[in-house]
Amino acid sequence: MEASHPVLIVENLSVSFETPDGIVHAVNDVSFVLHRGKTLGIVGESGSGKSVTASSLMRLNNSVTATTSGSVQVSGKDLMAASDDELRQIRGSEIAMVFQDPMSALNPYYTVGAQIAEAYEVHHPNASKSEVQMKVIDMMTKVGIPNPEQRSKDYPHQFSGGMRQRIVIAIALVNDPKILIADEPTTALDVTVQAQILDLMLSLQAENGMAILLITHDLGVIAEVARDVLVMYAGRVVEKADVEDLFEIPTHPYSWGLLGAVSSLDDSHRGQLKTIEGAPPSLLNLPTGCAFHPRCTYSSENNGQCETLVPSLMQKGPEHSSSACHLQSARVVQIGREVGK
Amino acid sequence: MKKRRISAAIGFVLVASVVAAACGGGSDSGSEGGTPQKGGTINILSSAESIAHLDPQRNYTGDDLAFVGSTMQRSLTTYKLSEGDAGSEIVGDLATDTGTSSEDGKVWTFTLKDGIKFEDGSDITCADVAYGVSRSFATDVITDGPSYAISYLNVEGEYPGPYTATAAQQAAYDKAVTCDGNVITFNLKSTVADFNYTTTLLTFSPVPKAKDTGEKYDMRPVASGPYKIESYEIGKSLVLVRNDQWDPETDSERKAYADKFVYNFGLDESAMDERMIADTGEDQTAVSYGILPENLQTIFEGDEALAKRAVNYYDPYVMYTNLNVKSLSCLDVRKAIYLALDRDALRKAGGGPYTGDFADGFVKPALALDYKKPTQLDGLNEDGKPNVEAAKAAMAAAETNCPEIAARAKDGLKFYYPDTEVWKKALAIWIDSMGKAGIKIKPEAVGDPAQYWPTVMNPETEYDIARGGWAPDWANASTVIPELFTTGGGFNLTRNADDPDYKTFETKIEEARNTLDRKEQGVKWQELNQYVVDRLWALPGTFTRAQSMWGSKVGGAFQWGPFGAFCYGNLWVK
Amino acid sequence: MFLFITRRLFFALLLLFAVSVVTYLLFSALPVDPAALTCGKNCKPELIAANRVRLGYDKPLVEQYWLFLKGIFVGRDYGMGQAAFSCPAPSLGYSFSQHECVTTLIGKTFPVTAFLSIGAFILWMFIGVGSGAIAALNKGKWQDRLANAFTAIGVSLPTFYVGLLVLFSVVIWLGILPFPHYESPLEDPVKFLNAMILPWITLAVLSAASYTRLTRNGMLEAMNEDFVRLGVAKGLTRRVVLRKYVMRSAMVPIVTIAGLDFAALLGGAIITESVFSLPGMGKLSIRAVVESDLPVLVGTTMVAAVFIVLANVIVDISYGFLDPRVREK
Repeated sequence: MEASHPVLIVENLSVSFETPDGIVHAVNDVSFVLHRGKTLGIVGESGSGKSVTASSLMRLNNSVTATTSGSVQVSGKDLMAASDDELRQIRGSEIAMVFQDPMSALNPYYTVGAQIAEAYEVHHPNASKSEVQMKVIDMMTKVGIPNPEQRSKDYPHQFSGGMRQRIVIAIALVNDPKILIADEPTTALDVTVQAQILDLMLSLQAENGMAILLITHDLGVIAEVARDVLVMYAGRVVEKADVEDLFEIPTHPYSWGLLGAVSSLDDSHRGQLKTIEGAPPSLLNLPTGCAFHPRCTYSSENNGQCETLVPSLMQKGPEHSSSACHLQSARVVQIGREVGK
Repeated sequence: MKKRRISAAIGFVLVASVVAAACGGGSDSGSEGGTPQKGGTINILSSAESIAHLDPQRNYTGDDLAFVGSTMQRSLTTYKLSEGDAGSEIVGDLATDTGTSSEDGKVWTFTLKDGIKFEDGSDITCADVAYGVSRSFATDVITDGPSYAISYLNVEGEYPGPYTATAAQQAAYDKAVTCDGNVITFNLKSTVADFNYTTTLLTFSPVPKAKDTGEKYDMRPVASGPYKIESYEIGKSLVLVRNDQWDPETDSERKAYADKFVYNFGLDESAMDERMIADTGEDQTAVSYGILPENLQTIFEGDEALAKRAVNYYDPYVMYTNLNVKSLSCLDVRKAIYLALDRDALRKAGGGPYTGDFADGFVKPALALDYKKPTQLDGLNEDGKPNVEAAKAAMAAAETNCPEIAARAKDGLKFYYPDTEVWKKALAIWIDSMGKAGIKIKPEAVGDPAQYWPTVMNPETEYDIARGGWAPDWANASTVIPELFTTGGGFNLTRNADDPDYKTFETKIEEARNTLDRKEQGVKWQELNQYVVDRLWALPGTFTRAQSMWGSKVGGAFQWGPFGAFCYGNLWVK
Repeated sequence: MFLFITRRLFFALLLLFAVSVVTYLLFSALPVDPAALTCGKNCKPELIAANRVRLGYDKPLVEQYWLFLKGIFVGRDYGMGQAAFSCPAPSLGYSFSQHECVTTLIGKTFPVTAFLSIGAFILWMFIGVGSGAIAALNKGKWQDRLANAFTAIGVSLPTFYVGLLVLFSVVIWLGILPFPHYESPLEDPVKFLNAMILPWITLAVLSAASYTRLTRNGMLEAMNEDFVRLGVAKGLTRRVVLRKYVMRSAMVPIVTIAGLDFAALLGGAIITESVFSLPGMGKLSIRAVVESDLPVLVGTTMVAAVFIVLANVIVDISYGFLDPRVREK
């Protein structure tokens, strides 16, 4: 079974930031495993901690203000304990990243060819010029850029958004990484381009068997590409499920809300998003107990537990699902079935 | 700001009116003991960017005349390079003596010494002197210089100077200034009893015709004195070195102790003062012209050692106020103005006692032969404070004696002033103090300060009050009182020709001018000074003062009377 | 690119022509009669009139301007007889108060200003960019606070104050250096350095302050850019990221401003030159103002304008090289 090849094991990851207003607990006690050739989706509203989780995997957070704890293991190495040098060896070669906004992710002062080449050369210092050049053209072809030889000499601003994202992907994949972290890779793109980029990522995954960690706020995207899903709220994982299970029997009130918001993959309903009532909490000042309780319709059913106790992940529904909620399992499954389709 | 900077700041404005040269005489000069010795370098620190003019015929400011005249250029006669009253005595310089005049004082002859040479070794001849003098006629090229040669010499017809003169015009000049061997003769239009004082001006310095470069001669004149120019860069420095063609045997006055003079231009004024106070390194052999007002107290009242290296002296200037005697043809009104004026406040606004003493007339005490303290107006406070009661009384007298003029004064008197910050302050004091005596001032600003003198000297301009300032051109009140108060004078802004006493005044002036005995003449100037003060054709303001410092290793640092400046050429290094 | 440069240069020339017209008219419109200024103690109306003719101020303004313009290309003659002389092309006129052709005056004073500007420029870029970078890399730490304090003080202190303070303390009070006398570096390099070191420091410290701020803020801004994070994610070393990503991005606005600042300095550092008695173009201009020496004023203004306009062109062109996004347009 492929499932037996974990490439990334994250345990008890917590990240907090010092800000002038106080300490922001952006990620709290997050654990998950990513398997070879599989796609794990992390979903949540903005501010849920999903992007911070993604960037802390590569330790890209500001080292001055951020405090990180827990462990992130890649090929048996704990990145949290790695030296700067070791970290550099891993970045770009074992883990690569695709950012949300292709407009700003590329260095405007260098040609795209040079930027792809740079990503390759840094991990292949002995590669010859022609080898590097071939690799650049090869990657550009792979990500579907027409006329790669000529276009490699162009600057980022001469490309459309979708084309730029393809180049970012080319940069990310030039060293055949085991793990690709894609942080909202399609959010900034036109709807028609979104599908192309997702298809591209999936086909490349099929080709080289990398694991993808897909960060998104779009359950539609999750449904399309992910196998496992983490739902995050206020820095915590509130539900962890197989993608089918999540859509069939979601087990956390927040997921119910999310699913309601996305309604279904059924295109006729797109554009009629229902939003969850209330606003995400401030990470500076989280509500006590379950952080979701002020927005939760069911919090009154639990004798004040929701207001005082932080719930932990427990199996509440189907075999591969667990959620962090004080509701009784039976009640969860009952409502989950109603919400799921 | 220092005096020097002021004159630089208003540019030629001051030059236009109060160009210097003459008997100042330090009230307390600061020379000290020690035996002069040869060698060393004297540094001169200056905030100016250059010497106004090195060209002898264009040089006309006190400090520059003292510098150039005591180092590089000789004239027919010179003041003795001495301290005190002796410094105002004249002796033959290029000439063997102080000249001989005909009985009517209209023809003057000078005999040139033997062995006098230019820096290139060529002899200085009578022709060179005559050529030099002729240059001063070319007022379009030789600007800013004194015009005494033009007004005194009896040249027939128009003479435009040597550059553009026709043969006939040049011949006319050559008739007025003749050479016979080494004897030069000047034929004058009228009697000039003190022409040999005029010849101390560098207008009467020789210029070799072949080396004359016109306008550009100013940058590199040929030396006749003990020093010549090694280098001259405007804004940077002027370096003088010894002129080995100068023969000390021919020069009784210039001692030429120092080997070198370095005139440093364009220095920041506060830095200059700090350097002079610190007195280290080459600044120990430096002299500077002018001290910033904020440092005066430290230097003169704070530290004895500093006070020993500084001097607070009379410069040649007298500041005063012109009254238009034609429009204010009533002595009572003029008295009222004088009595009401807060001279103390004016002096305070201008910088206080270091800027000068209250003047008692138009002749400075330094013109020793011509000065006697005039009797002051009744009721005038010696401390410069206004006497409002006396002023009101004078106005009341005017109401009966000359009601029209009194009414004019009440209605408003036009005061023309240059539109500068200093003068705005002064005008405020004028308006305020006149108001207390019931006199109104209508200020009339002249926007471009450079246009001030041309404006008020224009007979069409209808002012009642105008500023004034003057320094004599040589040590004789003949260059003061007639210039300021006769109709033929160069700077008469009083319009006093119709005053009932004017005719008598003019006669007395002629008498004084024709008095060949200098002492007798002096008494006549004293009386004339009193005459003017009594009539208040103008109001005396201040006898101005200036301050200078020198380094601890400078010897011979006294103020040279006629110029109110160091006698640079005879400074020596201890 | 070639077309871009030629077009910019053409417009620069046109602009300079316009500047020359405006400068000339502006100074001619001043309420100053240059002829009256040449008139000494015996200032009679006839003499003023004669000198007006001699200086050419009697001619209509257009003709005066034409003579000025013509002088730039063919030179100009002055005076008559033995007193005649000429200023060869490119002539910007003649200064009757300094007895020298304006072009010669500028030629003499410009090297001083150029040495001053170049030295100060190198020093201030070094100090400014260096301290800005250190501050950015240590955001919030003492280095950053120190740099902030330096910036706040540096931008608020007036030049003459700092200049005098430096001069007094180093030369007069402490006596570490002798009083500066400017000499050409070819003639006396020691005196040259002694005359230049303090003005360099003064100018550099004051100008560096704003560059510290520019660099610090530019770098901090760049560090938050996605592409910088991508650079890190690629596995690039910190040095490479800082150089190729952060600095490269922060330098673009700095180069622009530095070019203009440098050009402005070349037109004459008036206050610094005055405080340290450097015979440069700034002092030449000041003297011209004081003496209402119009030809010199027009000349120095024109030269300063040439530098500013030229700097704009160079900055524009180099901007094209520095930022590929600009090149296309």
